Amino acid sequence: MVGRIVIGLAITIVCFAVAGRRFFWLSRLIRSGAPAKRPYQGLRKAAEAEVVEVAGQKKLLQWTIPGLAHFFTMWGFTVLLLTIIEAYGALFNQNFAIPFIGHWSAVGFLEDFFSVAVLVSLLVFTGIRIKNAPARKQRQSRFYGSHTGAAWLVLMMIALVIITLLIYRAAQENTGHFPFQGDWWAFASLGVAKVLAPLGTGVNSVIENVALLANIAVITGFLVFVSYSKHLHIFLAPINVGTSRRPRALGGLDKTPDMDMENISEDTVFGVGKIEDFTWKQMLDFSTCTECGRCQSVCPAWTTDKPLSPKLLIMGLRDNMFASADRLLSKDSGEAAEAETLVPTVIDPDVLWSCTTCGSCVEQCPVDIEHVDAIVDMRRYEVLMESRFPQEANLFLRNIENQGDPWGLGGAKRLEWTEALDFDVPVVTSSIPDGVEYLYWVGCAGALDDRGKKQAQATARMLHRAGVTFAVLGPKESCTGDPARRFGNEYLFQEVAKANIETLKEVGAVKIVATCPHCFNTIKNEYPALGGEFEVIHHAELLAHLVNNGKLVPGGGYSGTVTYHDPCYLGRHNRVFDEPRDVIDAIPGAKQVEMGRCREKGFCCGAGGARMWMEENIGKRVNMDRTDEALGTGADIVSTACPFCMIMLDDAVQASGKGDEVRVMDISQLVEESLLSGSAPSSAPANASDDA
Amino acid sequence: MNVVVCVKQIPDPAAPQSLEPGTHTLDRSGKLILDDSDAYGVEMALQLAEQAGGGDVTLVSMAPNGETSGLRTALAMGAASAVLVSDDALKGADALTTAKVLAAAIKKSNPDLILTATESSDGYTGTVPVQIAELLGLPSITFAKSVVIEGGNVKVQRQTESGYDDVVAPLPLLVTVTAGVVEPRYPSFKGIMAAKSKPVETVTASDLGIATGAAGQEITSVVDAEARAAGEIVVDDGDGAQRIVAFLEELKLV
Ligand code: SF4
Ligand code: SF4
Repeated sequence: MVGRIVIGLAITIVCFAVAGRRFFWLSRLIRSGAPAKRPYQGLRKAAEAEVVEVAGQKKLLQWTIPGLAHFFTMWGFTVLLLTIIEAYGALFNQNFAIPFIGHWSAVGFLEDFFSVAVLVSLLVFTGIRIKNAPARKQRQSRFYGSHTGAAWLVLMMIALVIITLLIYRAAQENTGHFPFQGDWWAFASLGVAKVLAPLGTGVNSVIENVALLANIAVITGFLVFVSYSKHLHIFLAPINVGTSRRPRALGGLDKTPDMDMENISEDTVFGVGKIEDFTWKQMLDFSTCTECGRCQSVCPAWTTDKPLSPKLLIMGLRDNMFASADRLLSKDSGEAAEAETLVPTVIDPDVLWSCTTCGSCVEQCPVDIEHVDAIVDMRRYEVLMESRFPQEANLFLRNIENQGDPWGLGGAKRLEWTEALDFDVPVVTSSIPDGVEYLYWVGCAGALDDRGKKQAQATARMLHRAGVTFAVLGPKESCTGDPARRFGNEYLFQEVAKANIETLKEVGAVKIVATCPHCFNTIKNEYPALGGEFEVIHHAELLAHLVNNGKLVPGGGYSGTVTYHDPCYLGRHNRVFDEPRDVIDAIPGAKQVEMGRCREKGFCCGAGGARMWMEENIGKRVNMDRTDEALGTGADIVSTACPFCMIMLDDAVQASGKGDEVRVMDISQLVEESLLSGSAPSSAPANASDDA
Repeated sequence: MNVVVCVKQIPDPAAPQSLEPGTHTLDRSGKLILDDSDAYGVEMALQLAEQAGGGDVTLVSMAPNGETSGLRTALAMGAASAVLVSDDALKGADALTTAKVLAAAIKKSNPDLILTATESSDGYTGTVPVQIAELLGLPSITFAKSVVIEGGNVKVQRQTESGYDDVVAPLPLLVTVTAGVVEPRYPSFKGIMAAKSKPVETVTASDLGIATGAAGQEITSVVDAEARAAGEIVVDDGDGAQRIVAFLEELKLV
């Protein structure tokens, strides 16, 4: 008995000391990060997230099989905390039972149920890991680049925890020390006890001692191992989920630094150049990553053979954080000044510039890591501080700066698209005329690109037809700054954004409708931080509203199959999934087919994150990948609600030689087409010309 | 090595432009930006100074109303300082007057090399650079598509209609560079910040000892350019390639 106590406690003390030291060090390391200047989002949101994502495992359960296995393991760990209490109790008193509930059948059942459930889950995990072994599947495997050795060790240790647990419980039953003595609700323990019973009480008594100590040793050893491995997420995930941006780290970017020349000095650093420039929350992100690779498996860059994997990016930053720990903890500014910047050694430039900011990684990450903000932070440093970025981007930046649009066509051309309309669109010169409800923010693509113009024209005609009043800014409109911002040029973004906000306020804009999801997202989610609060709606939402209210009745002029491509900044970033589909559904002859990757899982077209303005010469083109999927549905129209998606997808359809069979259209064009042919209901005369 | 780059600040070419009613000269009263074609000279100068192991790049510009926003862009790229000649008396100055003013301003910094664009994007006379060289008594090489300094000489590839000439000349001299001689850098935010406090010396014509008076040249009238005839649109019916070849043959290009 005394031996058992001494050995048990000795193991515990050593392991707790080692793990405790590590946790203390980790917490100092994470807290050494820069302050995260975000408004506190309230306990309620944090609590909700804990319930839904940690307790309910919502994100994990999107992948049913691994999700369920993880669900049972996670809850297994929680329920089996009871057995840890029992184990330590038994160290001191062989007949120990937890006060009050210790003999309840329900407790015995739960403990045994979860023991078995965890064992089954471990088998599932083993199967998944064998099936997706990176050694065989290479880049296709979501575990490619993860520490698979450590992962196997974890599975083994968890198995050992459960096995030693069941054995000592069985032996307890046989020696008469089991809190659930003879209670078949503790089915697994009693089952194993049946097997061990023939060995006799003496042997069972030895087994009880050895297995109990082994159980304690494996658990405390596991604690040490966890503190040094990717399995840290057991403890850090709830903290990370509780402190993450709510409802999600998508939509607008997190940080809007003050770039007022008056408030900054020559030593101000913008963005993240070195690991210490990240906030503590971002450092917590890096420490929490479970290396599960869900992000990697959906990343449009990684899955088209580009070097960027959001998982490897986060792991790389974590490794660098650990490797720089001495510097971070000493807070020696001299040492910090000498340290190398993250790009190009830790993060390869091709990795940094491959991101389309599509947000799939953030959407998938079960522990709510905020990849997009981290990537844009590093881009900001590269652009603002080092002026180090793909050369070809020079042009679009200069064009936005000088001409107000990335193509460099200039404000004077911003009304040409209206020439094809057979009604007048009021152009706001001083203030929005009375009786005009919306300011239509046309966007650079809508006003200046040929395909974009068609989308803008169709939208304008449909709104006009439904009796919606709107005006445009014409030459007073300029780029919202989205591509500049996502490229990392925060300075240029804020310059154009502030000018736009001033214009919008001057003309008295209240309600704004945008056809471009990027404009929509930026004005809606990012202008408020710069003082511009407007009511912004996307044309998909407005059209859905008009269709639902019977103000816009699609005609019968179109029949065929349509697949809808979710623009990232409309869908994932802003959760507008149903409205565009409702519009298509309202067209009598249109049959909708979904692509495999749709809605929250929609796959990027390749244009976001200013990728539109960069060359894409590594791997498969993202737009081709998406278009292959769209063509695979057999649809004869690929519909979307973003001019940039339209350009990317249309290019890819043409390149696949399917230009004659498949058309790429905005939902507004689709509605218009349904009204064009002779079968349009006579009560709603088509007023659209076909020369768009 | 000290380099002077002449830079022009021009009305935004993308914005609608107007002419002054009396003089028919361009209305330059609004915001001015750095002429894009001068960004190449600035970049070339920065690279040459760096390769030479140091030296200052100085900007020289003439603009109304003490306008410096275009200069700040070039300073943000990395030029060290600027001299701005701004004088109401110089409003509507012709090419020769401009050359005299710029030559006088350049003289003050006694550079080893003077770089300019081949012509400005608003005036398009293309005569000022060589006039400056003449006034300073320096040789000049025009249309450089590559500039290399070797010892005390400058080696230039001079763009011609049929190819390029290799030209070598001793420093100091004036070189006009074409767009594409180098890729201009995008100013970093650090550069933009630093540019705010870089010295810009503003002088008047009389400070430079230039007598302003009646211009030697005036614009008597301005007429609209003839509208270009619409091009021929050829639809490819499978014989597109032959039609293109035939068209090129017609122009005696193949
Ligand atoms: S935002 Fe999209 S492209 Fe960028 S890392 Fe995440 S998944 Fe990949
Ligand atoms: S970042 Fe998130 S999704 Fe990606 S590997 Fe880490 S935990 Fe998994």
